Amino acid sequence: MRECFRLPALLASALCLVGATAHAEPLGSHQPHVEASLGVRVSKVADAGFDPFADSDALAQVSLGLGATVLRAQRFSLSAVGFWDYGQSSSTSRGSSTSLAVHRLSVGPELRYHLLPPLYLFVHALPAFAHSEASMDDRVADATRYARHWSYGVDGALGAAFEVYGTRSGESVRPRLWVIAEGGYGYLGSTRLKLLPDPGQGPERTSPVDLGSLSLSGPYLRVSAALSF
Amino acid sequence: MCGALALACGGRPSSWDTPFVAANSQNGLAPAYGLTGSVAVLDTALGRVTLLSSPAALTLASHSIGLGTDLAATRVSADRKTLFALSRGVQPQRKPNDERPQLLLIDGGPTPKVLQSYPLTEPMDQLVLDPKNEWAVVYGSSGVVVNLNELVLVNLAQTGADALSFKTLLSFGGNPKRFTFTGPLAVPGGDPRRFLIVERDFDLVLIDLAAPDRDAVTVPLPSTDAGGTATSAQVVYDADSASIAVRVTGTTSVFLLQLAAPAQDGQDYSVVTNLVDVGAQPATIDFVHNAQGLRLVALVGTSAVLVDPDTATTQAVQMPAAFTGIRRITSELNPSAAPALDGDVALLYGPNISKIAYFNLSGAPGALFRSIEPYDIGVSVKNVIDVPGDTYFDHKILETPNQQFYVLDLNTRESAPMKTNGGLTLEVAPDGERVWAYNPGQAGFASVDFARLHPISLIAERAVSNVFDIEGVNGQRTAVALHLAAGTADGIGATVLDALAPSTANARFYSGLELGGVK
Repeated sequence: MRECFRLPALLASALCLVGATAHAEPLGSHQPHVEASLGVRVSKVADAGFDPFADSDALAQVSLGLGATVLRAQRFSLSAVGFWDYGQSSSTSRGSSTSLAVHRLSVGPELRYHLLPPLYLFVHALPAFAHSEASMDDRVADATRYARHWSYGVDGALGAAFEVYGTRSGESVRPRLWVIAEGGYGYLGSTRLKLLPDPGQGPERTSPVDLGSLSLSGPYLRVSAALSF
Repeated sequence: MCGALALACGGRPSSWDTPFVAANSQNGLAPAYGLTGSVAVLDTALGRVTLLSSPAALTLASHSIGLGTDLAATRVSADRKTLFALSRGVQPQRKPNDERPQLLLIDGGPTPKVLQSYPLTEPMDQLVLDPKNEWAVVYGSSGVVVNLNELVLVNLAQTGADALSFKTLLSFGGNPKRFTFTGPLAVPGGDPRRFLIVERDFDLVLIDLAAPDRDAVTVPLPSTDAGGTATSAQVVYDADSASIAVRVTGTTSVFLLQLAAPAQDGQDYSVVTNLVDVGAQPATIDFVHNAQGLRLVALVGTSAVLVDPDTATTQAVQMPAAFTGIRRITSELNPSAAPALDGDVALLYGPNISKIAYFNLSGAPGALFRSIEPYDIGVSVKNVIDVPGDTYFDHKILETPNQQFYVLDLNTRESAPMKTNGGLTLEVAPDGERVWAYNPGQAGFASVDFARLHPISLIAERAVSNVFDIEGVNGQRTAVALHLAAGTADGIGATVLDALAPSTANARFYSGLELGGVK
């Protein structure tokens, strides 16, 4: 039990030390006013409903982010951030081509703490909603079947951002380049996978192919590059 | 990067990467089987069967059941209630828990389920079912050393290892070709009991199913008229007299076997054989009763030769044509009566004759020629199909070699010709109310109900491979027109109709059924 408390205590001591060291330096524009990011989000989707659409449990998405700092208090700052993640996974299910396209939009507050002017840690909990389109080429029906759904959830993550390019002075208004990494858990509600052809496609009164339910919840990593002003 | 790789860990079951391919009949497996309450579609790639049942009107549900590794044979019981699947299991066995060969029984009702599993000790290839659903025979081992004459008799009334009887038939070089399960034969000196007749290259083997572990009786076949080796072409029996007759190739004689009381100690019964010349090689034989008693009728050219099995005397009756097929219809004409000891009625037909005839054997011996009434129906008949159930048991379907079939009312002797535009496959509904006709690979199919003989033509939106008529969970009748592409990677599709009022205007289409239960 004693070992369990030792590591957090060490981390807290280290943070205080780094914070004390950096205390004298003004943050200025190291605390971004606005920022835009481009990155990759990789989620682990262990749900069996994902199996028809992917050979592995990974769902890779391109990630675009926007953020603006709305509140500053010394090393702390509060930003409003939002991300749009889009990814597609393709596979075959017993010989039928399948695909799953997922749009995910998450918006919410992000709390940041600058350890150093070029390094801050952050935590966020972002309400998220997603639109998924599952499709399958049905060779018997000679039509493509779809299941399109909205689902809702939340993304919670911890991360760090490191400034890789920018002037040392916090007075500068020139853009700064950051590398951001975060890891967390994204929750989304389950949706039914009842795939049907679009109206007018396939035989009359085609019944859906029921592949059960799909939950895109799972841990994720996002790595991105951001420009801040 | 490491984190991303870690997230990517974890795959999916390999089943998703295994395409569905409809079973190829060249392997001895049909792509699909019609059962009373479900349609069984073999999914050999995953070693399972997908059973399609109808939980409500115009709906279809799929339920998959594993059949075991390396499926060897599948059969449907005569009453269509059970699907039998014989699998070889994991071969060679490497681990104690490797799957063993087995015979699996699946209930084909509206709620399919596994009924029974019989583990076998060796992988077998062949499966034969008893029409009365009391026995199954598996044989044809595929081991390193194969005993071609070893049969495994499975008593379906028992479970586990107790159900299995291993039987090695004494052999002089032949091996099993065909099997006939008899009804209870009234063997003198004992209770009526059933026999399994095994036709081999040069002999017959009689296995007493009341005591399958007792020694079997081997009866050599007679030689051909030229002195060569003969083989059996047909076996028929009469239960009441415990008589068996064999049509033998290459001879003008029929081979008669009479099961009699034991002739010596240690015997359960004895076999008395006789050879009766009927003048030429018969096209077919069957037991019938006429006013004088039991007779074996052999159709020889344009003659029906009646053989008295007791005296071996013969009587030839001139037929109006060279019929080659005979079917007793006595019970269909009068189902409530006791067995017709005063004379059977038989239907005569042939694939090369545009006539059928009713052969009434109740007439006086000297006037039998007058008892054959021919009907010119304009087409030949290659097969006579029975109609099950209690309503239209007196109907027969006459299947022709071309694109027609006849619905024959035996009582009124009226026949309704039905002409189709393409080839013809017939599927009689298990409830005996209608027949479905279709041409595999074509979109068109039709229903003919026996009440009105009214054909309803239907055009599906996809090519039809099979049509089955099943009972739904609520008792409703559902027609399932399957869309399977034999031998190619495709899926399981079906058009579902109300069997009692079929219409493509309200039919429902299902596909992707091969994806259910993949794990």
